[in-house]
Amino acid sequence: MFALTVARRYLTSNPAQTVLLVTGVALGVTVFIFITALIEGLAINLTEQVTGNSAHVTLEPATRLAQILPGDDGVRTEGVALISTFQRSQIRTWSSTVDLIRSQSGVAGLSPQISGNAFLVKGEAVQPVSVTGLEPEGLDAITPITPSLVSGQGALGADGLLIGVELAKDLGLTAGQPVLLRTDRGGERLLTVRGIFKTGLQSLDSRVAFMSLQTARPLFNLPEGVTNIEVKLDEPGRAREVADFLAGATGLRATPWQDKNLNLEAALDAQGRTGTLIQIFSLISIIIGVASALVLSAYRRRSEVGIMRAFGISGRFIVAVFMLQGLLIGLAGGLLGCLSGYGLCTFLASLTGADGTPPLPIAPERGGYVAVLILTTLGAVLASAFPARSAARIDPLEAIQQ
Amino acid sequence: MSSVLQARGVVMTFRNGDEETQVLRGIDVDLAPGELVALVGASGSGKSTLLSILGLLLRPTEGEIQIAGQRVDDMGEKARAAFRNQRLGFVFQFHHLLPDFSAMENVAFPAAAPAGGISPEMRRRALSLLERVGLADRAHFPASRLSGGQKQRVAIARALMNRPELVIADEPTGNLDLRSAGQVLDLMGEVNREEGGTFLICTHDEHVAARCHRRILLVDGKVQPQEEKAIPGG
Repeated sequence: MFALTVARRYLTSNPAQTVLLVTGVALGVTVFIFITALIEGLAINLTEQVTGNSAHVTLEPATRLAQILPGDDGVRTEGVALISTFQRSQIRTWSSTVDLIRSQSGVAGLSPQISGNAFLVKGEAVQPVSVTGLEPEGLDAITPITPSLVSGQGALGADGLLIGVELAKDLGLTAGQPVLLRTDRGGERLLTVRGIFKTGLQSLDSRVAFMSLQTARPLFNLPEGVTNIEVKLDEPGRAREVADFLAGATGLRATPWQDKNLNLEAALDAQGRTGTLIQIFSLISIIIGVASALVLSAYRRRSEVGIMRAFGISGRFIVAVFMLQGLLIGLAGGLLGCLSGYGLCTFLASLTGADGTPPLPIAPERGGYVAVLILTTLGAVLASAFPARSAARIDPLEAIQQ
Repeated sequence: MSSVLQARGVVMTFRNGDEETQVLRGIDVDLAPGELVALVGASGSGKSTLLSILGLLLRPTEGEIQIAGQRVDDMGEKARAAFRNQRLGFVFQFHHLLPDFSAMENVAFPAAAPAGGISPEMRRRALSLLERVGLADRAHFPASRLSGGQKQRVAIARALMNRPELVIADEPTGNLDLRSAGQVLDLMGEVNREEGGTFLICTHDEHVAARCHRRILLVDGKVQPQEEKAIPGG
């Protein structure tokens, strides 16, 4: 393509100006990538802090509404729906549901659970506790309990119990000691504290006790089903989509973590919008930079373009020459910017502060590289449209006579 | 013999607000194939305007123009551009070469741009034209490194690239020293004799006009009758 040859020649004829222009574009792209990686990193960091110890999607039995018969006039008169309490709320088909969830891509872990309320009794001391009965091999699937153990060990066994450090302190319990558990379903059993964990989350450390699913069944009078299935995903951001799918596929109520943390979601949205604004401004600066450089170039080459027009070279060819210059600048600046942006983000991510974590929660792999490359190239082509059109409209006679 | 160029009743009026200036007042011109014709006249006589009209760079207010048997005055812009590219050659006072391209690329440009690249045939034609203008050894030099006279010779080779029926030259020696001007004129004369190219040269230089077969004198926007000079070898 001859227009490409001409475009390349125009760019290489003034290397200093071209290098400056490409560097300018690359800088804009670097800023774009830095902001994208930072916003994404912040979101991951915040989400991890919020969801690190809890499920991304929680599956629970669908809410059953009581059947309300219409009155004589055929109109239901009740203002609120009545929840049916006739049957125990549980997931009976949990085994097939677990298989279905496991077959989905992006599922990092899952845990069928029996959750209920109970009291731990030691002597005269009584503490309310939220009991989670789970499969012993899935102990760390949702909350990394084993790594948080401060004493004892994580093997639950038939009568084992794991409790948080605050609860242990309140009841004066240490690992290996027996404790009586009395559930809200009337079950009662003497269990042994196998281990004490410290997650740093008050709600877990002072209120939660873990036991095996088999131990929980008689205590909560649930011989077959489970009360909930907790799912952890590789990408927490997909929780809503996965929840919608699972709700549709299983008929269960699926709640994504965002619904339990609406404030966080709003904060992340606001942060995302700020990032988008900065991204848009860096793209605009790229477009203005390319456009102004090409306007100048078109002006400088007026007589050359004029002679081309005099020789009957089509306006389309002239437009192609200038738009290809935009394309080459965008592509070169975009690629260079992607490299420097990745380099900068990787460097920042490798730094460690006093507490051993990076000073900026940056995610170098989330820099939006493909998007910025495409946007920059398109932007640069768009930026060249105006100078290209004005060059193609140069009156040959006027340009030659100058 | 049919004319290469036939213009009838060409009128050009420029408007500036309410003011109208008639620069050409009914011009008739005929150029036979192989003619080397000088267009002469005092400054402001309208010769540059006539040249631009005959080169399809400007539309006349009135008049009919045929080039190589084809009516060109009523053509659309795209057709005019294609006609200029295929059938006309231009040499201007200033060479207007593309400085970032070699002499060979400059010569091939009018053929290469519409075709999408320089084909081996175009390269051969460009090199033979450069040889014709005595610049074979400068073919791969960037245009910016050639002397003024060499640049104008490259410009002549470029004008001939697409084998035009008519070459229009506007003061082609106006920017050159005497020696270079002589070389350029010799060259146009040779091309005219050997390849039968038709040249219309606008000039105010008596030396240039004297070397043409005949001259068209414009006075105040009208052609003045001239004594015709015998065509050498014709």
